[in-house]
Amino acid sequence: MTTTSWARLAAGLLLLWATTTLADPRVEARRHFKTGMFLINEGKYDEAIAELLEAYAIKPHPNVLFNVARAHEAAGRPAEAVSFYRRYLDANPPDSDKVRETLAKLEPLVPKKVEPVTVVEPPVKVDPKKVTPVAPAVDEATLARIAALTERLEKAVEAAEQAAERPVEQPAPKSGETPTAPPEDFSVPYEETVVAAARRSQSSLEAPNATTVITGDEIRASGLTSIPEILRRVPGAEVMSMGYSSANISIRGFNQRINNKVLVLVDGRPEYQDFLGVTLWPVVPVGIEEIERIEVIRGPAGALYGANAMLGVVNIITRAPGTGPRAEATGMLGNGNLAGGSFVASGGDAVKFRASVGYQQADKFSRDYAEGRPDVVSAFPEPNLAMRSARANLTTFYAFNKQVSLAASGGVNRAFTEVYGIGLLRNYFLDGLGGYAKVDFTGGPVKARFFWNHLDATSGPQYGVQGQRSLATTLESNVFDAEVLFQQGFELGGRHQLGVGVSGRLKRLAWGYTGSLTEELHGAAFIQDEWKVLSALSIVGSFRIDRHPLIDKGKPGVVPSPRLSLVFTPFEGHAFRGMVASAFRQPTFLESYVNLPIPTPGVTGASVLTQGNRELLPESLLSFELGYRGEAARLGLSWDVAAYLNTVRNLVVLSAVQPLNADQAFDARSQTYLLGRSTFVNDPGSYRAIGGELGLTWNATRGLDVRLSTAMQTVQSVENAAVCGACTQAPAVKVNGGVIYRTPVNLDLSADVSYVTGTTWVEREPSPSDPTQILNVRNALPGFAVINARVAYRLLNDRLTFAVVGQQLGPNHQEHPFGNDINRRVFAQITVQP
Amino acid sequence: MKALRLGVLSSLVLLACEPPPVFPGADRRQNSRPARVEGTVVVSSAARGNVVVLLFDAARPPPPTGTGRPLTFALVPKEQLFGQVRDFDTGPFTAPFAFSFVNPGQYQVRAFVDANGDFIPWYGVTNEVNTGDVGGAAIDSISKLPLTIDVPVSEDGTPQPATDVPVSIGDTARVPVDRPVFEVAQAGMSVPLNEVTLAGAPLALDLRVRPVNEGAVKQSQPVFLARFIDDNGDGAPDDANGDGVPDMWPRVIVRKLANEAAGVNPLADENDLDRNGVIDETGADYDHVNPSTGATIAADGVPDLVVLAAGINPMDLAPQLLDSMGRVKPTPTPVTKLPIVIRPTALDATDSRRPAPIKGVPEGRYAITVIQQTGQTWKVPNELQDTLAGRFGLPVVSSQTFVVRVGAKP
Repeated sequence: MTTTSWARLAAGLLLLWATTTLADPRVEARRHFKTGMFLINEGKYDEAIAELLEAYAIKPHPNVLFNVARAHEAAGRPAEAVSFYRRYLDANPPDSDKVRETLAKLEPLVPKKVEPVTVVEPPVKVDPKKVTPVAPAVDEATLARIAALTERLEKAVEAAEQAAERPVEQPAPKSGETPTAPPEDFSVPYEETVVAAARRSQSSLEAPNATTVITGDEIRASGLTSIPEILRRVPGAEVMSMGYSSANISIRGFNQRINNKVLVLVDGRPEYQDFLGVTLWPVVPVGIEEIERIEVIRGPAGALYGANAMLGVVNIITRAPGTGPRAEATGMLGNGNLAGGSFVASGGDAVKFRASVGYQQADKFSRDYAEGRPDVVSAFPEPNLAMRSARANLTTFYAFNKQVSLAASGGVNRAFTEVYGIGLLRNYFLDGLGGYAKVDFTGGPVKARFFWNHLDATSGPQYGVQGQRSLATTLESNVFDAEVLFQQGFELGGRHQLGVGVSGRLKRLAWGYTGSLTEELHGAAFIQDEWKVLSALSIVGSFRIDRHPLIDKGKPGVVPSPRLSLVFTPFEGHAFRGMVASAFRQPTFLESYVNLPIPTPGVTGASVLTQGNRELLPESLLSFELGYRGEAARLGLSWDVAAYLNTVRNLVVLSAVQPLNADQAFDARSQTYLLGRSTFVNDPGSYRAIGGELGLTWNATRGLDVRLSTAMQTVQSVENAAVCGACTQAPAVKVNGGVIYRTPVNLDLSADVSYVTGTTWVEREPSPSDPTQILNVRNALPGFAVINARVAYRLLNDRLTFAVVGQQLGPNHQEHPFGNDINRRVFAQITVQP
Repeated sequence: MKALRLGVLSSLVLLACEPPPVFPGADRRQNSRPARVEGTVVVSSAARGNVVVLLFDAARPPPPTGTGRPLTFALVPKEQLFGQVRDFDTGPFTAPFAFSFVNPGQYQVRAFVDANGDFIPWYGVTNEVNTGDVGGAAIDSISKLPLTIDVPVSEDGTPQPATDVPVSIGDTARVPVDRPVFEVAQAGMSVPLNEVTLAGAPLALDLRVRPVNEGAVKQSQPVFLARFIDDNGDGAPDDANGDGVPDMWPRVIVRKLANEAAGVNPLADENDLDRNGVIDETGADYDHVNPSTGATIAADGVPDLVVLAAGINPMDLAPQLLDSMGRVKPTPTPVTKLPIVIRPTALDATDSRRPAPIKGVPEGRYAITVIQQTGQTWKVPNELQDTLAGRFGLPVVSSQTFVVRVGAKP
């Protein structure tokens, strides 16, 4: 290598290491803000102002203006203080009166010819009492420091002014579960907030559950195109991809084909498909580019969300109408027939909106069977296809005044996806139309919500056995849900935040596997009080009761879901949490009503009858959790530690095949002989899961974010059962690490690695020697690693981005013994913000 | 440079269009490479009912030529085959059938119209034809013998399906009688037994027909079709094995049952615990005896198929089976009682043509099976016994508990 080359390399490295861009804006802004506040306390006002303005430049927030004004005031610069206070008042803060009083005191001190707003004088003009005096004769080092500070201040001011003038990058609101709108947020700036844990916006530190928040910036920086892949970074989450579009998510064990124990929401609206109990990810009508953040509750949340929020909740929060880029178009193309594109527009004046359309398709990672086999034939005309989604969304918001607003949204998704069935069933396709409509009304402390979820699809095994009856079927699902929530704060021996609500849900399903139209009417009532007993201690009590039409041995009954949490914050930025809660999962339509003769492989004239059971008890979870969340904001470091003890009872499982009476042996509907009946039953055993989770994030330096998490667990049979699928199917250790680096030369780099230890899966298969016998077979699955990476280059002030994304860059692997051979996907991506 | 760009572009396009690889997971079915057998059922009969098509290993054909059990079965629904035709219409009616997941090999196909709708494949007492059913098979059109269907493997190892297999069912093969349902009594006695012990002396027993017409079992007129075998047509009964006893139909087999144990089907034969008709790879193995020298031949590690030396006592039946000239009647004679003799001699019938003597008589339970010339069979004990019938929703017939016991009851 020549000297010139070395020089170029060194220059390149320097450029790469230069610190002018950011990885996660919120984390970066928070670090600057915290540093600024620390410097104010130290009396270093100019440095403090520089930090605060840098924070403001990254993510504008009115509280920063207030603190800048305070710093100027303390530094003896009334003109600047007045200017920033006025800008703060422009945001109409709740403490306006108090600020006006301050302004009234300061304005007389301002010289008549005040330079407007943000002209920052050199440090020599600051109050000599507060700031180190600058003597006329100073050493060179001091001069250099002053010059650097001045330059930094000027840049910060310039950036802050640009940020303030930038109309399209408004911060997303944090006031609710839905993308309501734009009222300004005056809480502590740049706090990681969650709404899912208490159904109101609060700091992660205050959350009564273990929570993980993945920001939209982090998601987009990863380049990942599927939500399950993104969720691998949640400590304790188990992501099991059966194929490109068929992933099962669990939290803290108990994963399975068709996992049904985690509730997935989009802006508070469930994406849980009640007929199967699964989330059909490609049917979710939201593009990655529309996501503001994803909040994950790791642990039971039945006290707030009722049924199915048993092991956790994934709440996908989209950008509020009128926020984010005014327009954004993306396109991608890669191997595996991966192609897609989207367009999102956001804006509006009185009525704010976000509209989007998108398309994506991809082939399977691998096929179960080759073409041209003499025994098996593809049942779908496009045998390689794993997913296809064409979606459109419209979200609108209108505020009548500060108290009353209305949000309406709707979307459709023409989707094809894989679904890997349970029991003897294998890879299915589902091809149909999903849609939703939702209305949110806010009137002061009262919030009312209505939504309709719809799915109309054909479905069947992807591979049909030649000469055997097909299991293709149709389904139409409609879910109507209405909820009224009252939230009010009050003082009574401390600050209380009370929430009371009622809801009702009507589910209607017409499905070939369950017979004629099936209806269920559910109801629920819930109450929650967050009581701040002391400034450092909060008690959160929640109680919900759900009415289910079959829950009492086939008759209507109720299921209570209590939660009690204590949150102790002895120091700022450090919170200790203890929680005890129960949650449940109601049996799905499949588990309650299915009546399906499944062809016995290899015996054309025989079937095994799979039957639902209307007398199932709900699966239940009792959870004890201890947690500690802390941060060293100036170091950009935060951590989250949790330990739990979960006891799970009444798991719904398929029974062994039981012989039928001779008079039931022939099934006229399928024209086959029934070998026996397998019924959904409650597992008489119970299971204990003990585990711990650790999450670390480090905003190491400007532009660089590092993340590391690990989770360890053991699942045991309380009764020491000889065969314990739940015990061996839960990976003992999961590790995830990632890095995002936005270089100053417009080059973005990100990579993440996940490793999951080996498991053993107990699955049902026909006996090879006698296919009429169904066996439980143990299948060992070795540990696997998932590696994803993205390299992107930004142009034209970030309006144009080219990226190359590699997914599953590690060794080929399976995440379930019957799953695809997951292999590399590489694609190019272009993003335009005109 | 232009060529390079074109090359890169085409590589990208090809990469994007490359189909996913084929990867069978741990699923056993995905890892198997079977083919299929398919063809057409042709029914020329006024009988109506679902058509049951059975696939047999050609090396183990069904009774009466062998003792094989079906590997799989398919069903052609009555509606598909006959539609709305008039009852007396004899067709021919045709419909396709198929067997899926058939491994390479050679097979035979049998079929019948289940005219009385009482076929249930899961129980020994309901899984055969009876009166009124119409039989058939895949028959070689020239030799009129059962067709051997070949499922070959191509040069690259891919199994090839057997297609266009014709299965003919006609009234000429209408089943004339019910199955030979029987109960067992001491010779000359009337009270049926539930158990008899074989010690050092031969056992003389009577097998008597026992109608069962209740619930899913419809055998109202069981009968034994008795006949001396006279394959050489000389009018005298044959004695193919030279044991001095004339060969005749029905055949009686007394086979050892599996030892009673948890998880073992009480009706399973020894060394056929999965009840597929094939000797298990591992199981009970006994010392043999050299018939010439009487010397002991040590167990060879291969599971044995243990039967007792047994047969019909022809003396009582002979007058009914011979004509006035003392010649073998050409057609079977229906009888209601079969006198049989079981000797305390055990044989390994793994090779049915050359049964090998076993040293001693293995202790345990033995079942009696009667095989008619029509291919119909009956075995006791069966699912109608007291302890099983209720579990399957079948009628209880106590006499169907009968076993021949050797040695003390455990």
